[in-house]
Amino acid sequence: MIALGFAVSGAAGGLAYFLPAITTAIQDTGHTINRGSPAPSSTPAVDAAPGQPFTVLLLGSDNDAKFSGNNVLTQSMILTRIDPATKHVVMLSIPRDTYVPLSTGGTDKIDKAYLYGGANAAVKTVENAFHVHIDHYAWIGLLGLINLIDKLGGVDVVATNPVLDDFYPADVSGNNPYAYERVAVLPGPQHMNGTLALQYVRSRHGDLRSDFGRSQRQQQVLLAIRTKAKLLGLSDLPDVANAMAADFSTDMSIPQVAALLPLASQITLQTVQQVLLLPPFTSGANVGGQDVLMPNWNLILPETHKYFPAA
Amino acid sequence: MRRFLVIVLLLALMGGFAFGVNRFFALRKANVAAATTPTSVRPAFVLPGTLYIAQQGTIYRLNNGSFTDLHLPKIGTWMQPAVVPGTSNFVAVLRTAAYSEVYLIDSGGHILKKLSQNATTSSTIQLNHWMFWPHVGIDGQTFYVSYDAPKSTGSYEIEFAVWAGALTGKLTSKQWTDPYGYTGGDVGGIPMLNGGLLYSKYQIGNGQVYSRLAIEPRARGNPVYLTDAESDCGEPALSPDNATIAMICTGGTGLQSTRLVVATLTGTKLGPQHVLVDNCLCASPAWAADGSGISYFAPVDATGHFQLWWIANAAGVKATAPKQVTEGLDFDATSPPAWSPT
Repeated sequence: MIALGFAVSGAAGGLAYFLPAITTAIQDTGHTINRGSPAPSSTPAVDAAPGQPFTVLLLGSDNDAKFSGNNVLTQSMILTRIDPATKHVVMLSIPRDTYVPLSTGGTDKIDKAYLYGGANAAVKTVENAFHVHIDHYAWIGLLGLINLIDKLGGVDVVATNPVLDDFYPADVSGNNPYAYERVAVLPGPQHMNGTLALQYVRSRHGDLRSDFGRSQRQQQVLLAIRTKAKLLGLSDLPDVANAMAADFSTDMSIPQVAALLPLASQITLQTVQQVLLLPPFTSGANVGGQDVLMPNWNLILPETHKYFPAA
Repeated sequence: MRRFLVIVLLLALMGGFAFGVNRFFALRKANVAAATTPTSVRPAFVLPGTLYIAQQGTIYRLNNGSFTDLHLPKIGTWMQPAVVPGTSNFVAVLRTAAYSEVYLIDSGGHILKKLSQNATTSSTIQLNHWMFWPHVGIDGQTFYVSYDAPKSTGSYEIEFAVWAGALTGKLTSKQWTDPYGYTGGDVGGIPMLNGGLLYSKYQIGNGQVYSRLAIEPRARGNPVYLTDAESDCGEPALSPDNATIAMICTGGTGLQSTRLVVATLTGTKLGPQHVLVDNCLCASPAWAADGSGISYFAPVDATGHFQLWWIANAAGVKATAPKQVTEGLDFDATSPPAWSPT
């Protein structure tokens, strides 16, 4: 009886410690992807079996005071293929301005898919446009990214060039989400805190490559986070959960996330391949007064299917 | 009564055990140690001359194996010191959220003069300016700095050009370089003994942005390129005799690491490149004032704090292996140290 009492009290102590992580895990994971009814003629795709290569759509959004609830754009969409056996990873950045048919109806920039229909629409739109099957998605908001990087003690990044922006949205730091602030990220290797890292991955006005430059920087910072996250252990989960609580969601279950953690630590930078859809894969155009990128599907689809199985 | 006391004692012990389990997990968190202040440590060995070096917005003097906090006013982030040749003074950048200014400071940390006026009183934030990487020529007067002008407040375009001026007059009287648009521009201008300027020029080609080292013998002349696009080299440091360049190259690393490279310089011709440190996060090389070696910053491990490292005889074929000078500090890797001979 006494031993049982101590066992229960020990479990209670552990539970109290991991409660934030458990709460966040329950709230933020296991969201199912609702693809709606498949077309009668199509064969429903099946999610990858454990240990088999799988595809994850990584989504990053502005979710500052300008937006309400989950009605946000995705500033970052990275289609990621992970092979657990070879530890090979491919990251394909989809430009946010890519003009595609949305799963919710109509044709628009691909970043609006999430705005109109959340993760389900983002996943379905990418699947329809790129003819691939997506096994999972993971979404993170701006503040979640800042908090995560700060919780990791910052990340080391080799800034590709001076990133200057006189029209950077002051929606995280200021009281007026529609105001601007100045950004100057200096080039070269450096230690970045969450705010600086966000400026680095988010700014695009001063870059001739616009969203392409930003996509490259986003992939850089993701890899830097992965490097730093290797330092974390089980005991760090509550802090990380607290940092990202309202700014993260995924359809992956807790066991699936747990299974991914050791895999993440085994992946080396040499086995990560980065793909950007630069011209001639896309070309600039103006549709209805808005600047968009017109995809050249004749080039994009063969390139995509080199790394992602056609669905 | 006795039984009651035993139950209370057991409950207290169980509560203590629960607390102990909770703390057990808490103590096993990853130890991402915070950096300590330079004044609380001593370097592993003594470096020649005096270094002015920036950590977390403060500038320290390192002399004879000891750090001294210059106690500059805490009104922004102090960075990028550069000595004024022939004097014991240095210039440094004070960065704030919207602009940066250059100050003239003596070796004791007393501000002698605010040299620039880059802040605007207007609510149009685009009227503010940045200045970074100040350098003073061998004459102790000619001043070079990367400056985000000219620009139009109605345009997204903003990049650095290297400007020249006078330390005791107008800092930016002459635009020296013409930057490539929407790349970030030209940075890190270093005055050469022959009157030319060595700097990093950012360009874009094949969808990639990269840096090339260039020499511009005269203001707005044609740049002579020393390195190619594939090497992606920047952060040049020129030896005191101007015969050797140290640089940081990123090409071929997938933008995840760098290498520290040196090469001889004859006129505007770069000799064979010799890699001193490969597969590192090396940053901001700086030559000792007597040319006996170079310092640079690099983290020791994945915790990410940049430490000071030293390579003796870096210009020659007998360069020594890198030696770690500091431990537990967190130097500003975008802020090359300034090295004074005394």
